[in-house]
Amino acid sequence: MFRLPIDAESFPLGKGPMVMLVLFLVSTLFIFGRSEEAGENLEFWIFANTHYEEYQARVPIFEAQNPGVNVQLINFGNTMHDKLLAAMLSNFGAPDLVEVEITSIGRFLKGAIDEVGFVDLRPRLESEGWMEKLVVSRFTPWSYRGKIFGIPHDLHPVVLLYRDDLFKAAGVEMTEVETWDDFIVAGKKATRDLDGDGEIDQYAIVLDRRTESDYFSLLLQQGGGFFDEEGNVIIDSELAIETLEFFTALFNEHEIATPVYGTWHGDPSNFAAMQDGKILSILSPDWYVGILKSQVPQMSGKWKAIPMPAWHPGGRRTTTRGGTMIGMTTQCTNPDKAWELLKFTYFDRPGLVNRYETTRIIPPLKSAWDAPIFKEPDPYLGGQPLGDLFIELAPDLPPRYQNPYWSEGADLLNDAIFAAVTEKQTPRAALTELAEKVRALIAKDQGRWGEL
Amino acid sequence: MKTKPTTYRFWNQQQKIAPYLFIAPFYILFVVFMGYPLISSLVMSLYEMRGFQSRIFVGIGNFVDLFRDPIFWKSLRNTAYFAAGTLTLQLPIALLLAILLNSKFVRGKNILRLAFFAPVLVAGVFVAIIFNLVYDQRAGLVNEEFIFFGKEIGWLNEENYVMPAVILTGVWQWAGFNMIYFLAGLQGIRQELYEAAAVDGANWWQAFLHVTLPSLRPVIAFVFVVSMIGSLQLFDLPYILTNGGEPADAGSTIVMYLYKNGFQFMRLGYAATIGWVLFFIIAVISIVQLKLLGIFRDE
Repeated sequence: MFRLPIDAESFPLGKGPMVMLVLFLVSTLFIFGRSEEAGENLEFWIFANTHYEEYQARVPIFEAQNPGVNVQLINFGNTMHDKLLAAMLSNFGAPDLVEVEITSIGRFLKGAIDEVGFVDLRPRLESEGWMEKLVVSRFTPWSYRGKIFGIPHDLHPVVLLYRDDLFKAAGVEMTEVETWDDFIVAGKKATRDLDGDGEIDQYAIVLDRRTESDYFSLLLQQGGGFFDEEGNVIIDSELAIETLEFFTALFNEHEIATPVYGTWHGDPSNFAAMQDGKILSILSPDWYVGILKSQVPQMSGKWKAIPMPAWHPGGRRTTTRGGTMIGMTTQCTNPDKAWELLKFTYFDRPGLVNRYETTRIIPPLKSAWDAPIFKEPDPYLGGQPLGDLFIELAPDLPPRYQNPYWSEGADLLNDAIFAAVTEKQTPRAALTELAEKVRALIAKDQGRWGEL
Repeated sequence: MKTKPTTYRFWNQQQKIAPYLFIAPFYILFVVFMGYPLISSLVMSLYEMRGFQSRIFVGIGNFVDLFRDPIFWKSLRNTAYFAAGTLTLQLPIALLLAILLNSKFVRGKNILRLAFFAPVLVAGVFVAIIFNLVYDQRAGLVNEEFIFFGKEIGWLNEENYVMPAVILTGVWQWAGFNMIYFLAGLQGIRQELYEAAAVDGANWWQAFLHVTLPSLRPVIAFVFVVSMIGSLQLFDLPYILTNGGEPADAGSTIVMYLYKNGFQFMRLGYAATIGWVLFFIIAVISIVQLKLLGIFRDE
């Protein structure tokens, strides 16, 4: 009779370790022997919870329309970009489709353009005529050297949200504000010490001096940027310096701006200051309205919105802040099906209407803009149809050119803004020094491996 | 003559190979997860990535750049600031708590021990989130008290307050943990030594200086070295608390700068260089500490 060469009694240390070893071996077999599900598999990585919830509800519809296709949605949260970086570095384990956030895409564009881990989607977009159907300026954050590595999820136009009641109490009608000069006049009236204790109790506007968010939005509105279309550093241009001088003057000369409470505009501290009536206005992209609604629902009816004040009469009344793209990785095994899923999640009208309902995000697909939901009065803004305002501004969005050195540049830009606002450096000196640093960084890399 | 069955013959060789089999898992894991990455990162520090697919040899170029990098020095200063705060504030508090909980006069010792130890059971990320609310500029617990002095302090918003806020959070989280080490050390001191000191006329302070502290020397050395290493590796607490080290890199630490370079700037060679410089800093400080505390001395 056949006998195994071991038994429980003779196994070192007895039965327990033997059982553990058997379980280990069996589970290992399960892990390595796991067969792929039948049919075509598509893996789609996401970092934002709201996006995940939206796609989770809609993927079954796509699967029903495409029998045999299994879509695996994975929400990695904030760690997703690091995981994607590791997968691209090791050339193994990247998903078919992935969403990438606007401040993170730069690092994925480093190196030779042919070695970027995303597929150039320009040929598909052009051959199917999608370019004309979308807001063209919104491709700039996701394009580099003529290739389009991602399709915009959003537009993120910016408006000025303001407390109508408190401005009116100060004798200001905000709908008459058209330029930043008008805003300064209005802001000086509205920034007040209400109880006479020498401390200002309400500021006309809250601005972030810790990071580039508000300053860079203003710079984009002016038509400037950190890099131009060819990748040149232009953060020390006269336009950029003037914009930073204006930004610092709002705090120091006109004294109508307060630094953001807490670490960013979405900090509970900032919301508390809003509820206390300490903040009278804020530059708000569409997504921020969604955050306000969910975080401070008790402020419903207190806010109103106008287009951003222009730099010059008749000038641009909006800018853009934030953004997400969807990209197809070069590791994608089924590009045609992935493209179908991409179109289903980004270009499908009912899905985009649903997205606005839950997040207030305006889609870049122009044909979706005539949906009735965008014209509906928004109770959070006292009945003002906010969607309509965002859509009215959308065609005028400024371009935001992407560059592989954006992350390093933005990190240093944060320091330059803080130094200028806290008067440690003049805006000119801060931006000149910053531009020199970034140029030196790029020159060093190019010196090492030549032009890429 | 009775022969051993086949089953037992299989194990005849076990005496020879068993020891190697038993230690093999450690060595396999060490080589895969420590040895290889260590050597690989050392090699990487001599290169710089050129995108995702290729890299270029730069020799000691990364080290030269690092020593000229003002943000590295600022991060090093912040890290040293935190380490100094840990050694001068957190460890004395931990020792004081241990002495109190070791005294005969304190009641409810078990509950207090648990209460002081509990913060270490909370993950660093949650501690940072909790303290974000504690330091809240408008309605935070700390400002609710300090506001009476007439100033609403932006603990996480003003350059000079960021590191003190991080240090205080570190005290809350780790003092109770280090207290347990000191407590174990205190309980190991023989009572006869105190009795002998009392016979010689020593008061409480003299007994503390000449009996307690010398007896605790190995524990103090251990806690100092481990706390110093932990302080130099500080990352998650300031990263979340300050939303990435801002303003003006006031909350940036060496490991945070390493992370930024490796993952946000895709400069893996430079990040590996920071890692190795940090390794040497930790090694030198640990050896100096152990030497000063007399751990290498023959008793």
